[in-house]
Amino acid sequence: MREQPLKEVTQLIHAIKVGLVEGSYGITNKTLDIFKYIIISKSWKNADALMQIVRAQCRILQAALPQETVTSNIARRILKLTREEFDLLHAKVQHFADDSQASLSLHKLVTQTSESNVSVDYSVPQQGLREALLDHLQEVETELETSSENICVQAEEHIHSSEIILTLGHSRSVENFLKRAIKKRQFLTIIVAECAPACRGHNLAASLAAEKNVEIIVIPDAAIFAMMSRVNKVIIGTHSVLANGGLRAACGAYTVALAAKHYSVPVIVLAPMYKLSPLHLCEQDAFNMVGCAEDVIPYDSIPAREAKVYSPMFDYVPPELVTLFISNTGGHAPSYVYRLLTELYHPEDLEI
Amino acid sequence: MAQFEKEIVQAVLIADNNVWNFKPLSDEGSTALLPLVNVSMLDYALIALNRSGVEEVFVYASLYLQEIRDHIKEGIATYASWSFKMTVHMIGGEGCRCFGDAMRDLDAKALIRRNFILMGADTVTNADLRPVLEQHKRMAKFDRGTAATLVLKECAINVRTGNELLIAVDKQNSRLHYHQRLRMNHKEPRYQIPLDIFLGNSCTALHHNLLDPQIAIGSPSMLSLFSDNFDFQTRDDFVRGLLINEELLDSRIYVALLPATQYAHKVNNWPAYQLVSRDIINRWAYPLVPDMGVLKLQQQYVFHKDNIYKSLEAHVSKVALRENVVIHAGSHVEAGTVIRDTVIGENCRIGRHCQLSNVFLMANVTIQDNCRLEHCVVGDRAVIEAECDVSAGCVVGANCVLPRKTKLAKTLVTSTPNTQRKTEQEQDYETVELEAIGPQAYIVSDITTGDPDDSEGEELLPQQTLCIPKMGDLMLPLDEISNFSDLSDISDDDEGSRAVTPLPDDTNIFLSEVIDSLSRGFRERSNPDFLILEINSSRYAYNMSLKEVNFNVVKAVFGMQHIVEPANNNVLAAIGAAFKQLGPVVSNYIKSEEAMLDCLKALEDVYEENPFVREKISQIVHYLYDKDFVSEDAIHAWYCQLGGEEHFQLRQSLVKLVDWLNQSSEEDDNDET
Repeated sequence: MREQPLKEVTQLIHAIKVGLVEGSYGITNKTLDIFKYIIISKSWKNADALMQIVRAQCRILQAALPQETVTSNIARRILKLTREEFDLLHAKVQHFADDSQASLSLHKLVTQTSESNVSVDYSVPQQGLREALLDHLQEVETELETSSENICVQAEEHIHSSEIILTLGHSRSVENFLKRAIKKRQFLTIIVAECAPACRGHNLAASLAAEKNVEIIVIPDAAIFAMMSRVNKVIIGTHSVLANGGLRAACGAYTVALAAKHYSVPVIVLAPMYKLSPLHLCEQDAFNMVGCAEDVIPYDSIPAREAKVYSPMFDYVPPELVTLFISNTGGHAPSYVYRLLTELYHPEDLEI
Repeated sequence: MAQFEKEIVQAVLIADNNVWNFKPLSDEGSTALLPLVNVSMLDYALIALNRSGVEEVFVYASLYLQEIRDHIKEGIATYASWSFKMTVHMIGGEGCRCFGDAMRDLDAKALIRRNFILMGADTVTNADLRPVLEQHKRMAKFDRGTAATLVLKECAINVRTGNELLIAVDKQNSRLHYHQRLRMNHKEPRYQIPLDIFLGNSCTALHHNLLDPQIAIGSPSMLSLFSDNFDFQTRDDFVRGLLINEELLDSRIYVALLPATQYAHKVNNWPAYQLVSRDIINRWAYPLVPDMGVLKLQQQYVFHKDNIYKSLEAHVSKVALRENVVIHAGSHVEAGTVIRDTVIGENCRIGRHCQLSNVFLMANVTIQDNCRLEHCVVGDRAVIEAECDVSAGCVVGANCVLPRKTKLAKTLVTSTPNTQRKTEQEQDYETVELEAIGPQAYIVSDITTGDPDDSEGEELLPQQTLCIPKMGDLMLPLDEISNFSDLSDISDDDEGSRAVTPLPDDTNIFLSEVIDSLSRGFRERSNPDFLILEINSSRYAYNMSLKEVNFNVVKAVFGMQHIVEPANNNVLAAIGAAFKQLGPVVSNYIKSEEAMLDCLKALEDVYEENPFVREKISQIVHYLYDKDFVSEDAIHAWYCQLGGEEHFQLRQSLVKLVDWLNQSSEEDDNDET
């Protein structure tokens, strides 16, 4: 049986496709709203039914927008929450059932969860699950809202006065991060690679140039390697972080990372927690997205008749080229990503 | 009234406006539902409107109303991306025969309240029309008589799909002053633009490289203008009528150009279909590309390198797909087959060792082993049996079964034994029996079934209207497609001042009128006497000398469509058929020795222009000699006149014939003595 998509889900898909909702933060926020709406308004009897609904809608989102991994990341968070809240309530009920062993509750909790991991029956109706979930969702929402701010706060730790920073394209977290750094530190030089063909780097440069006390240099992508020798740090954003610590980032990121490796320049990647996805890069073809040919070569030009034109949107950057991830919870090495993933998501939810 | 509180953006889509060009598939369903890279054209148009922020669409159709209605219902049920924030209404009228009727009907129904977007259902565009709509509104505030804004797009000058325009525009306020559709297959040697345009306006720009994607912004007055003028049949009539009677109707048309980064094209015939398919596959129409899930909620294809879009449920070995291929779910391709530049619909089966290039397969097509298909379209559920060779713009209709080892080129095939045809006198349909090549395959001759009312190109190119344009190699530069240069073309380049004298133009018009008369006479098998009468009246109208008439009549016979593009490349048979019917006309003019010389000189011209004639020139001269159109002496005289380098090849090919003539005459002489 095929699941019917909710009206809200189809509207979100359409909005993302048309470009009304942009950026991973916007998409994450909207997706979270939908799941919140599901928890509040859908008539689910038990945790199992809720998880079914969340999974189904997540599959639909994934099929429609395979490149937007944040939607399924949020779904995994919700699933993990549901499991946790259910376990907690379950444990409480049992705990009330036999008061005699109250003193052993900590010990019991530990042993119980480790034993019953396999055999938890989520289809048992549980009182107060909805309220508990909503409470917890509030936390997730707050975390999402403050994630950008929390990353910014760390700017001072990484950027020092009179350093030369290189970045690529236009990432909102990088923009805020650098703005904070400019406020705190003096004599910074920021080199922005324009990231052709969309040239979103121009927007970033324009936005940063509004700040005082900073030198902004915009360079074409071809000059990345030439400029790298002078650079102290590379700070880039990413579209998502893969399970091995590799990046799916804007096209050009691989060039930057390789050049940085050559000159031993540290590469710092700003990635809020919701961008961590338990995926591995295996299928090359489906990994990338190809944009409009018009950006690369005009339609009416004669070579355009014969040529095949590709304008890829993403680059894969292997984990060994990344020095540090900065997330809202602090800095992590790429090798530590797997650990974060096991904390964030339940192992049974990796496959939705 | 809720609608008046917030301004709703309305749009009108006209479906089935160009059905004749899509024969025989247009007989089997609405052309608006014809899949283009596996998404029907109507969906592309609706998506384009949706992306431009349109909230209410009226789809106007006359034929196949129910099918389109079902399609829209299904689209809404499957969450097609245009079904969000946009309501789609179907309107249809049985009595609606043309674009003008549709507009009059819309006016009568009073559904359109303010400025609206008017588009053909066959337009593919990724343009955002909001700025254009704003421009139109601003203009309408400034000029009350604004009737419409035509949305045009710059295009390359070396490809022609029949949608190209020459316009004259006021540079300051982009008001349209002159509008001319360019010919489909070859370049015009010259344009005629009324002098008033330049005298009356200080700042006029001429654009000759514009494409008309059939998008316009209409004012409410546009509809009433259609109602007031019953003779407006097409949008071109409307534009022309308004330009001529500008003062009288007090309405003006403006022009908006789309930015270069936005794609727009109209799919009104098979070459355009091929071109737009290729552009979609090559991602020029981004985001309307197969792997973006344009229509359905789910992504249907995975994008591989070399522009291969493969559904995960398609069974294909990777080697089989070379480049620019779209393959839909459920299709099977067996080993040893090579596919390039091809679109494969749902559940198609392709056998072993086939060669497919530039092929468009609709759903459920079966192609058996060892077939070769090139530049062709195969309709739903058609079966092509083993070892067939189908090429050069063939269209195989739905449910056809091509028997084993069929070889076809430039042919339209349908599964029903008769087709409908519009006769010229009455607006009725008459059925025509078709030639069979199999139990479920009949050849549709496009000459007999072409649309006689196709008014778009009629005035420009009479000899080409009756042929359905077919696909071919898109890379061919324009001059090679058809070298139909006019009589005075070459001399004109040499002497620039010739253009001052009006004479060559009259000759051209005369020639095209004669071609027109002859092709019609040939098609309808009319009495040669009438044709002679017609040609004579044309002759006096354009003040032609007898010599010119002789010359042009012969040229016209060879200029008829089916000789320029003969079926199966058999030019001799085509000429035979033509002379069988039109012989009396020709012999009426070609009587004297001098006239025969004119006739042969005309042939010399044709020799230069038509490659088929070039190959068979000696047989053609021999044929004319056999049938007593030209005498032996005339051939000799002509042959002697052929001198110089430029005629070397012609002489070469005629040597044998002349020798033979000499011999036979010697023999005759001998017999007599």
